Amino acid sequence: MLSIRNLSKTYGNGVRALVDVSLEVPAGMFGLLGPNGAGKSTLMRTLATLQEPDSGTIRFDGIDVLSDKQALRQVLGYLPQDFGVYPKVSAETLLDHFAVLKGLANGRERRAVVKALLERTNLWAVKDQKLGTFSGGMRQRFGIAQALIGEPKLVIVDEPTAGLDPEERNRFLNLLAEIGENVVIILSTHIVADVTDLCPRMAILAGGELQVSGEPRQVIAGLEGQIWWKTVTRPELARYETEFEVLSRRLAAGRTVIHVWSESDPGEGFEGIAPDLEDVYFHALRQAGRRAETALAA
Amino acid sequence: MSRNFREIFRFELKQTFTSPLFWGTGLFFGLMTFGAVTSDSVSIGGGIGNVQRNAPFVILQLLSVMSVIAIFVTTAFVAGAALRDFERGTHELFFSKPMAKLDYLGGRFAGSLVASTGVMVLCSLGILIGSYMPWLDAERIGPTLAGPYLFALGVLVIPNLLLTGALFFALAAASRSWLVTYVGVVVFFAGFFVASLLLADVEHQTLGAWLDPFGASAVNLATRYWTVAEKNTALPPLSGLLLWNRLLWSGVGLGVLALSFATFRTSAGAPTYGALGRLLWRLSWRRKKAEEAPEVPLEGRDLPPFAIPPATRDFSSRRSRSLFFHALRRETIGVWKSIPFVVMVAFGMFNLAGSAAVRFERFGTKVYPVTALMLDNIEGSFVFLLVIIVTLYAGELVWRERSLKVAEVTDAMPVPTWVPLLSKIGALWIVILTFLTVGALTAMGVQLSQGFIHLEPALYAKGLGIVAVRFLLAAVLAVFFQVLCNQKFVGYLAMILFLISQTVLASMNFDHRLYRFADSPTMTYSDMNGYGHFLEGFAWFNLYWACFAALLVVGAALFWVRGSESVWRLRLRQAKARFRGPWRALAAAGLVGWVAIGGWIFWNTNVLNAYVPTDELEHRQADYEKQYRKYKSLVAPRIVDAEANVDIFPHERRVEIAGRYILKNKSNRPESTIHLQLDPRVKVRRLSLDPKWRTHFDQRLGYSIYELPTPLAPGATMDLAFELTVEEKGFVNQNSNTSLVDNGTFFNNGQYFPALAYDEGRQLQDRNDRRKYGLPPVERMAKLEDQNARRNNYLSGDADWISFRTTVSTSADQIALAPGYLKREWREGNRRYFRYEMDRPILNFVSFLSARWAVKKDVWHPDRENVAIEVYYDPAHAYNVDRMIDSAKKSLDYFTAHFSPYQHHQVRILEFPRYASFAQSFPNTIPYSESIGFIADVRDREDIDYVFYVTAHEVAHQWWGHQVIGGAVQGGTMLSESLAQYSALMVMQKEYGKEKMRRFLKYELDQYLQGRGGELVEEMPLMRVENQPYIHYRKGSLVFYALQDAIGEETLNRALSRYIGEVAYQEPPYTYTPDLLKILREVTPAGEQGLLADLFETITLYDLRATTATWTRRADGKYRVKLEVEAKKLRADGRGVESTLPLDDSIDVGVFGSRQGKDGKKEETVLYLAKHRINREKTTFELVVDGKPSEAGIDPLNKLVDRTSDDNRMKVTEAGT
Repeated sequence: MLSIRNLSKTYGNGVRALVDVSLEVPAGMFGLLGPNGAGKSTLMRTLATLQEPDSGTIRFDGIDVLSDKQALRQVLGYLPQDFGVYPKVSAETLLDHFAVLKGLANGRERRAVVKALLERTNLWAVKDQKLGTFSGGMRQRFGIAQALIGEPKLVIVDEPTAGLDPEERNRFLNLLAEIGENVVIILSTHIVADVTDLCPRMAILAGGELQVSGEPRQVIAGLEGQIWWKTVTRPELARYETEFEVLSRRLAAGRTVIHVWSESDPGEGFEGIAPDLEDVYFHALRQAGRRAETALAA
Repeated sequence: MSRNFREIFRFELKQTFTSPLFWGTGLFFGLMTFGAVTSDSVSIGGGIGNVQRNAPFVILQLLSVMSVIAIFVTTAFVAGAALRDFERGTHELFFSKPMAKLDYLGGRFAGSLVASTGVMVLCSLGILIGSYMPWLDAERIGPTLAGPYLFALGVLVIPNLLLTGALFFALAAASRSWLVTYVGVVVFFAGFFVASLLLADVEHQTLGAWLDPFGASAVNLATRYWTVAEKNTALPPLSGLLLWNRLLWSGVGLGVLALSFATFRTSAGAPTYGALGRLLWRLSWRRKKAEEAPEVPLEGRDLPPFAIPPATRDFSSRRSRSLFFHALRRETIGVWKSIPFVVMVAFGMFNLAGSAAVRFERFGTKVYPVTALMLDNIEGSFVFLLVIIVTLYAGELVWRERSLKVAEVTDAMPVPTWVPLLSKIGALWIVILTFLTVGALTAMGVQLSQGFIHLEPALYAKGLGIVAVRFLLAAVLAVFFQVLCNQKFVGYLAMILFLISQTVLASMNFDHRLYRFADSPTMTYSDMNGYGHFLEGFAWFNLYWACFAALLVVGAALFWVRGSESVWRLRLRQAKARFRGPWRALAAAGLVGWVAIGGWIFWNTNVLNAYVPTDELEHRQADYEKQYRKYKSLVAPRIVDAEANVDIFPHERRVEIAGRYILKNKSNRPESTIHLQLDPRVKVRRLSLDPKWRTHFDQRLGYSIYELPTPLAPGATMDLAFELTVEEKGFVNQNSNTSLVDNGTFFNNGQYFPALAYDEGRQLQDRNDRRKYGLPPVERMAKLEDQNARRNNYLSGDADWISFRTTVSTSADQIALAPGYLKREWREGNRRYFRYEMDRPILNFVSFLSARWAVKKDVWHPDRENVAIEVYYDPAHAYNVDRMIDSAKKSLDYFTAHFSPYQHHQVRILEFPRYASFAQSFPNTIPYSESIGFIADVRDREDIDYVFYVTAHEVAHQWWGHQVIGGAVQGGTMLSESLAQYSALMVMQKEYGKEKMRRFLKYELDQYLQGRGGELVEEMPLMRVENQPYIHYRKGSLVFYALQDAIGEETLNRALSRYIGEVAYQEPPYTYTPDLLKILREVTPAGEQGLLADLFETITLYDLRATTATWTRRADGKYRVKLEVEAKKLRADGRGVESTLPLDDSIDVGVFGSRQGKDGKKEETVLYLAKHRINREKTTFELVVDGKPSEAGIDPLNKLVDRTSDDNRMKVTEAGT
């Protein structure tokens, strides 16, 4: 449904935010993974008609997004990464305002929609509270409520789980998961678990370039037999870092567990382990980093 | 001083000296004073005038005003010092250190105070550096002295910064809110302005000087009568009121600071002390932030399944329109509810109500608060806030979504781009209109509160609609700047630069409104003439700028930022893509309209009419003097008879004049040259002088010279006939002709009739302007000794006494008037004709008027003289017509009894529109402006009835001016204006009693002394006055009142009567002041002869004061009063340099008691009042009076010129207590 072709964008200060990104996104939940500064938000904002790429095309469901922005906006639901609210306005009032802007002209219908959304996000009880007094989680739910007004066909949520506590985050993702099946939902995040838990398709973006895309199962399968783990002591860690391709290190009961990537058994007591999405993610980032280093060296 | 204190202080200073705010404002303030010193385009707290540009007085004024303006910045420093740590969350780091609270607060405050002072030091440097600029006139730069700078900084600036710094530091510390602090600043200023308005009158100035926290009023009180010489060299003494004021307010500052330090709390939470603290806390936004909404977690399982009801969506263009109104409503309400707007509305209402409530006109007497005056008030003291509101809210509205980070949400919504743009402009428009509506309601409230119930809402709507237009246009410009600059503060800066450029353009004489955005000709509303002909030009200019604003709207729409793209390359690309459909059409329409209307305006202002910028007017004045002054003393044929048919077409603003002069050669040789002068705007249809005789023709200055083929023999006469048209076509850019108007035409023969002599009145007067055009210092009037100059009277150089007849016609609905008696009145078609004939010779000084008047008629002494008194007035202004008639009658009573018979048998008073505000006496005809007297509110008998007084003054001119006219030499105006003042004073004294005189003369004294300070050339003694109003009116009143007090009213009147007998209606050479002095000398007792020299021949001042006054009660029940006084007599030269004179004068000494008056108010009684010969600096009097004394003093009725008139009398206290 969403087809991104050769999208590039370089900022005035020389930062290359997107480099020739092409991506096909079918209906359903799509996870876009990447570290901070990977170009995720640039991609999201470009999809949401808020930014102009230097080159490339975007088509969604027959709409040429870059030339007919207004048409896309009519089917878009967008939750930006770091959005604000009018602090002195109540949740219901602002949501109603947004509903008007989204073209819900009929007052009765609009009120019903607002009520349903507030109930579903469990904000109905605080609908008269000023938004300035909301906690981060409540505000994020308000954000998704506004994004869902008007039955959007394309929902873009940019880093929605940042700063939420684990429980709140789970519920928030559940909420996203319930949105209709014929809708394209793009969830951008730097938390691997977000994608693991609920995205049938995903992509990894780093340094403005697309590293990996596909179904999580597929991409994980690509690393089968290449991930090894070992418990090491702190003094040993530095040596392993230089001699092996360490993907991750985690403390467990005061000791450090490391995952390394190697096409064959690295020996030294490493044991094989089934790869997970996190391994895929860190592996992709390392490769992107290595490519950037080579590019600099050359 | 502890180490901690020093460290905090050092840290604070470093913060400041590296902050752009400090250097930015310091530079800006320095540039302002630099500009004020080096050019006349920048003026701070009143222009520099004739004083040296770096005079101590100027330094004091500039730094004093700047220290007040600086508060808006210095508050940022002190409040920053109080709030910074709490804002940044570093307070816990500081207060967990082992440090005394006092070190912390003291260091922070002292650091910020030094920073504030630093800004003012940069400001002083602006003056210092400015005074060395090479383009300045060296004559206007004095020596550089450290004293004035140190005085200004030490006595005014630093105490002011200390006081306001302490106040707003305390407020910031207590409220922990920037907003509350700045609201405090605004409220403080509002209170200050209202108080200073209430205390502006002469009668409250001492209290005002105490209460002014900035010390400026105390300085003004000490320096208000300073002459140029004093302003150039002196500083006010640091004593008396000024010293006490400074001590008082510095003390208040320190007290507030101590209190603030003592109650300062180091935690960030809610304050725990004081009602004020709690109140401020309740107002502050931090409270709301602290009180969070209850956490409502999202409960996954129990919630209903995800089912959003379906809703239809509408993206039609009709829907877009209703979206626009939805957005408009939200934006507007957002501004209405925002605190700065509410504060500014409240401040504006205060300011307006304050200034409207105390609008005195003159002599402390109120006027009726008519709507026209209220509109002036709204313009003057309310509308200025709109400049701030438009600039501020254009930024706020354009950046609203982005500053709250909502923009990413709303920009991605399916809303057409024009909706946010137009709804924001629309909201700004509604805000402007609501603000003005509040102004109108406030003004009507003031009217009602003063018992004035003639409300005119329609006129408010019209007047404020006119005011609104330029702000509506400015709003578009401000939004355009914000969109284009795409940075809020750059947008503000662009708007500020635009505002500054408007004033700078004006001061550089770039006057044309075709290139001055949203500018249109100034309009004056007159109750008589409404907005009259001004509306046409106003409408076209505004339409012109509205078309331009349409282009700005298109520009803003094309460059409107949606999303986060701010690179110009992409914005241009986007703009190109957006430029289609309706935007293209609007741009085309705007452009075509703009150019077409611009052409039409140019046709009107520059083709149909002449566009003459202000500097070109000055240039013409200079050229006139350079080329033609040589003909000043030319002997030419003189007008002895004038007859004219004057057809006034008021609706078309046209006058047709067909006239004939009879010229007579009054010299003893043949004359063949005629110098004919006409206003260049007057069209000559026919002239009886053959064009072949013309030897010189200067169209630009309207000067032609004709050589008659056969010279005019001595004593022979000739006719000079002329047919002229004066016509106002279309509309003009500036200086609209207000003489020819729809209702209230008023012009005199000097404006449009041919003149035959050089007119000194057209010369440039200002010394500095003259230097600019290379002219020598002006000779304002010929010297008293110039016998030749007295061949002319000072009113006309081409005639003596003439016979006069005229036929005036006007439209059917109006009355037309001119001097003379109505002989016949008839109608022809739709026009009315009036034939006026004067039955005796008059001066060549006549007026023509036409208006729709109501008429009230009366007769003075129907049994004997049978003088008709008629007042022609606007039907809405009937308030004081009876007072005028009464005054005219009483004036005729007094003048005919004491001076001479009245030469006419009619007195007519004619109201004319308020385009000018004077009354003027023509033979039997007194035009009187609607703005002086007709709307005065003299119902309160306590107030000075200046309607009565002005009328008496003008009637007196029928004697002083129209019977006795002085020659065109120094002192000429004393013989008309000063004597008319005296005559009116006597009529008023007879009507209102001597007590009223003291109050009246106090105003005259004040005006005279202030006038001296504003003198541009040289102050002259009264008998050599060179048409200087502050001398011939103000000092004239004081001098003649003192003279009649010394030699007696009867004696003086007899002398004046004798003078009239000798010189009335005389042919040249005309009389001059020595003629009158000669008679006065004869009637003045030998011992008082010195008085005449003091009053008339020199500038004499006194310094009189009572130093102690005590009473003891005698056994017989009488009171013995012991009064000690000091007296000094001074003589000033024309520049105000004084020297002490030996004193030997008769001066009043008086003792006063008090009693309950009839109305329960306290009344003063005179227990003792007599003249004493005083010839020592210190004198002690022992006086015995019957009643209990309350006050005593020397010259207690302020008859003498004394710069501190308040200390002449003092309270009498019981001896020994």
